Amino acid sequence: MLLQTQLPQWTALGPALILAITALVLFVIDSVDPDSTDSALLAGVSVVGTLAALGVAAWFLAAGTGQVGTGGEITLFRDALVVDGMSLFFTAIFTSVAAMVFVASYDYLKDRPDQAEFYSLVLLATTGMALLASSNSLATAFISLELTSLPSYALVAYLKRNRGSVEAGLKYFLIGALSSSVFVFGISLVYAVTGSLLFSDVASALGDLDQSFRGVAGIGVLMIAGGFAFKTASVPFHFWAPEAYEGAPAPVSAFLSSASKAAGFAVAFRVFVEAFPIATAVDLGIDWVLAFGILAVVTMTLGNFAAATQENVKRMLAYSSIGHAGYVLIGLAALSAGAATNGDVLGASMAHLLVYGFMNTGAFLFVALVEHWGVGRTFEDYNGLAERAPMACAAMTVFMFSLAGLPPFGGFFSKYFLFASAIGAGFWWLAAFGALNSALSLFYYSRVVKAMWIEESDGSFELTSRPIGLYAAIMVAAVGTLVLLPGFGPVIETAQTVAAALFG
Amino acid sequence: MAGAFDYTPAIVLLPFLSFLLALGVGRSMPKGGALAGIAATGGSLLLSVWAMLAVANGGTYNQTIYTWAAGTGNSFELTFGLLVDPLAAMMLVIVSLIAFLVHVFSLGYMNDEGETGLPRYYAGLGLFTASMLGFVVANNLLMAFMFFELVGLCSWLLIGFWFREEAPPSAAKKAFLVTRFGDYFFLVGVVAVFATFGTAAFAGEGSFPALAEAALAGEAATEINTFGFAPQTWFTVVGLLVLGGVVGKSAQFPLHTWLPDAMEGPTPVSALIHAATMVAAGVYLVARMYGFYALSPTALGIIAFVGGFTALFAATMGVVKREIKQVLAYSTISQYGYMMLALGAGGYIAATFHLMTHAFFKALLFLGAGSVIIAMHHNENMWDMGGLKERMPVTYWTFLAGSLALAGIFPFSGFWSKDEVLYEALAHGLGGTPLLLAAWAMGLLAVFFTGFYTFRMVFLTFHGEPRTDVARDPHGVGWNVKAPLTVLGVLAVVAGFVNMVPVAKLTGAHIEFLHDWLAHGLGGLTSEHYGELTGQFAGYETGYVGSELTTVLLSGALSLGLALAGAGLAYKLYNVPAPVEHTDRLGSVKTLLFNNYYQDEYQVWLADTAARNVARGADKFDQGVIDGVVNGISSVSLFSGSRVRRIQTGVVSNYAALLTLGLVALLLGIGLMGGWFL
Repeated sequence: MLLQTQLPQWTALGPALILAITALVLFVIDSVDPDSTDSALLAGVSVVGTLAALGVAAWFLAAGTGQVGTGGEITLFRDALVVDGMSLFFTAIFTSVAAMVFVASYDYLKDRPDQAEFYSLVLLATTGMALLASSNSLATAFISLELTSLPSYALVAYLKRNRGSVEAGLKYFLIGALSSSVFVFGISLVYAVTGSLLFSDVASALGDLDQSFRGVAGIGVLMIAGGFAFKTASVPFHFWAPEAYEGAPAPVSAFLSSASKAAGFAVAFRVFVEAFPIATAVDLGIDWVLAFGILAVVTMTLGNFAAATQENVKRMLAYSSIGHAGYVLIGLAALSAGAATNGDVLGASMAHLLVYGFMNTGAFLFVALVEHWGVGRTFEDYNGLAERAPMACAAMTVFMFSLAGLPPFGGFFSKYFLFASAIGAGFWWLAAFGALNSALSLFYYSRVVKAMWIEESDGSFELTSRPIGLYAAIMVAAVGTLVLLPGFGPVIETAQTVAAALFG
Repeated sequence: MAGAFDYTPAIVLLPFLSFLLALGVGRSMPKGGALAGIAATGGSLLLSVWAMLAVANGGTYNQTIYTWAAGTGNSFELTFGLLVDPLAAMMLVIVSLIAFLVHVFSLGYMNDEGETGLPRYYAGLGLFTASMLGFVVANNLLMAFMFFELVGLCSWLLIGFWFREEAPPSAAKKAFLVTRFGDYFFLVGVVAVFATFGTAAFAGEGSFPALAEAALAGEAATEINTFGFAPQTWFTVVGLLVLGGVVGKSAQFPLHTWLPDAMEGPTPVSALIHAATMVAAGVYLVARMYGFYALSPTALGIIAFVGGFTALFAATMGVVKREIKQVLAYSTISQYGYMMLALGAGGYIAATFHLMTHAFFKALLFLGAGSVIIAMHHNENMWDMGGLKERMPVTYWTFLAGSLALAGIFPFSGFWSKDEVLYEALAHGLGGTPLLLAAWAMGLLAVFFTGFYTFRMVFLTFHGEPRTDVARDPHGVGWNVKAPLTVLGVLAVVAGFVNMVPVAKLTGAHIEFLHDWLAHGLGGLTSEHYGELTGQFAGYETGYVGSELTTVLLSGALSLGLALAGAGLAYKLYNVPAPVEHTDRLGSVKTLLFNNYYQDEYQVWLADTAARNVARGADKFDQGVIDGVVNGISSVSLFSGSRVRRIQTGVVSNYAALLTLGLVALLLGIGLMGGWFL
């Protein structure tokens, strides 16, 4: 209603455009003053840009842009891009995470020589994510995936004098290159059998597909799934994640594990639901629902089991992030052809990603804060931290318990809706695996809490400063995790409405 | 009828307010919060009387106040609401009156005796009163259950008031646990009511007694889930589950053992517990949902039989007790047995009548005992008393009035109500329900014991020569003790006149006021309707020896004769200047009675052997199976976790290989299932 009548159609891409422009503004600043260490200016511009994008996305979402009530999705550039409720919902996730990361980076990067590059790379990656969520063709999907990935590699290796960072960046890049090639090969196979890259055309071509080509189509579909598995850090494409998250600067880990993962899911949801409709795929023997079911169970189990034995908090969080990818995969695994519950399941997954965006970013930013203090990285190093920094530790406790899915935090509700909708869709075994894994996850999350609050510190460290940006970002994340408690009703409703529109 | 009912919530909230005041600022209030409590209960009393007048003018009130959990779809709602009908209005007046008098009396018993912790005491009393009043006006079973539990909690707080001594905390725990055992069944019953009817409302078209009645009459408008049982069987089961809570709270056999121990609490609290609040709650609940019990002859039979048995059983134990409060405790159990007998025998009015008269005379007796205890410097042993008659005349005469009422001597209040209880049991028993005759016989026999132990107590306490120095020179009591005694003394004498059935039958005069009172009110909650129900569903009919009049007179004469015989025996044995113990004549029965038929012992044995073994089994299951599985899972997961760590070698070419192998495995798996390679 609002947009179709009052604004030109291209403005629907507003959030992505604002992000891209902000990145360019940063380039301008950088070229004017290449050695700028004015953190306040750089971080300020980035935060303003992302918050503006977030505001526009939230406004569009509230106004119903691209949703059924206002005339349905808006397609642009000969259907290569699409703006609908889901893309706006995910854009809101990406920009929230990016804003928190920028605020935290203000302190984390202080006094480093090459800050402008950092901010513009994160902004470009965020732009890529926003486009990824709006992709309506396999070509744009691939391009935006690369636009997201390439800055990420550089960002992981950002601490270029740090061996761990550089090594992690290289490994991430190599695995990323392999995954991209798998992905693009999958696209080429699908194009070979359908003759189109647009999702809707692919879907109709698959419907008329000769049965003898179904092997080719099937391999293509699963390879595309592989490309998304890389982005979301799902088994068996997860190997880069622990290394990259551990080696990268903690704000980058936060950004990658929350926003980048969500971006992978955003495009996966759209591609599989729209380009490879379940009914058509199952007729061809391409049971991708089952494939995602297997991936979900393996991913969550492997992630949680590995997290349980870690000694390093950041690495534990890396594995826990893999575990959460497994939970979210339920959204693609608990679908069935034409079922009325599909929207609920997918919406619950999206809501979980939103909550996860806050609690996981917050957890990684807490790690960033601890790194900033130079305290150490293992569980033992966290002993007695609560005495020195009670506020931050209280926030971390909220993140840990919310990640574990304990009431009354946001993570409880999103997990509850996710498992409940899976059961409602008849996939009780997925929910059972999820619940078992959540129980296991409580073990290692509570280790952090125990170390901070219960264990005695050896008293060898002094907290030198109270970085205001990191604190602010952590508090925003904590408040976000808590506010989602009373505010979860609208979130899940929005998510399930926009998800249901995808199946319509 | 605007006005009275709009203030009904205040009846409950006023004592609650006094609870909050005493709890919060009790320390800085005069008299430790007593005055606030007196004002609050006095206000409740006035509002209750107002509500009763409104009911007398034909008004009733049944309103949901607050829905605190609304289900979606066609599931049920959980609500708070008020129900004021003749029964509730009468009970409101009784409870608030007794609570008011108990508060006044506490000034003498607690404040004047220099007790510490008074704010805690008055906070407890306030909450206790508020909970009971809330229970009385509850319009659904769940709300009733919640207040029922609050009553239990308050009794725990008050019985254990002197928590620094050894016995009171233990007695409080016992009261709490024993009644909780019964409440457990009650809770299951509440759930069963919701599951069956989808509502727990007491009154109205869609109330559960009305739905149950419709279901049995075969005209059910809505589907009722009876879980595969015949409706009547299922209703009996549900009724008996709820009865579990009643048996616990009203101290009926076999869950009566907590009540004598509860005497460890302050005496005004005992008066409140026994006369108006906790113990009365059980019987009131049966009366409240009588429309449900009336549908099940089995449940009624059990109620009647348990009641009759308890009446006799407790009366025999009261015979040998040495402490004045112990005698009263057993008399309470016995008297509530009568009420249950009446309810089971279809005598709804008789039970309500006895509930009312008993509230007055038992409160009187407890407060009188409290007065004696003050005088005796907190020595409760009757064998140390004697001759108090001349030294404390107000207490003596009021106590005597209460005793005459308790023993059921004409024309005191207890005579009229107990007589009606027994008459109902006899008449319905003769009318073709022989089980009731057995219950009646037990109740009748208990009259004799009641007369005996009551007057044994009176004579030992007040007559004869003082047996100790304290008794020769007792501590005086003030107005705040005498005034409540006088009010209750008058009521104990006259309360029976509201319902003189034998006189009415004899003279034909229309003086059965309580019958009229309970016969109007909300449809489906009247005594007439209950009479029809017991006739229709439980097959209760009235039979007579000769004519109705002869039966009435015969019944009255029998019970009066037995009461007088008991009192006379007590007079002969104990109204002598220096009475001696006669219990040795009972031989081995004496030991049995002193030990309360070994009720405590067998229950402890039961708890010890059965519960301990079950607990041991559960523990073994928990340790072995549950913990085993949990520990197993955690060690398996830690082990496999360390394996997973080993896969993560740090070598990129390994990752690439594993990644490719994983994708190929997935492709092969899905491909083979989908038949791509055919």
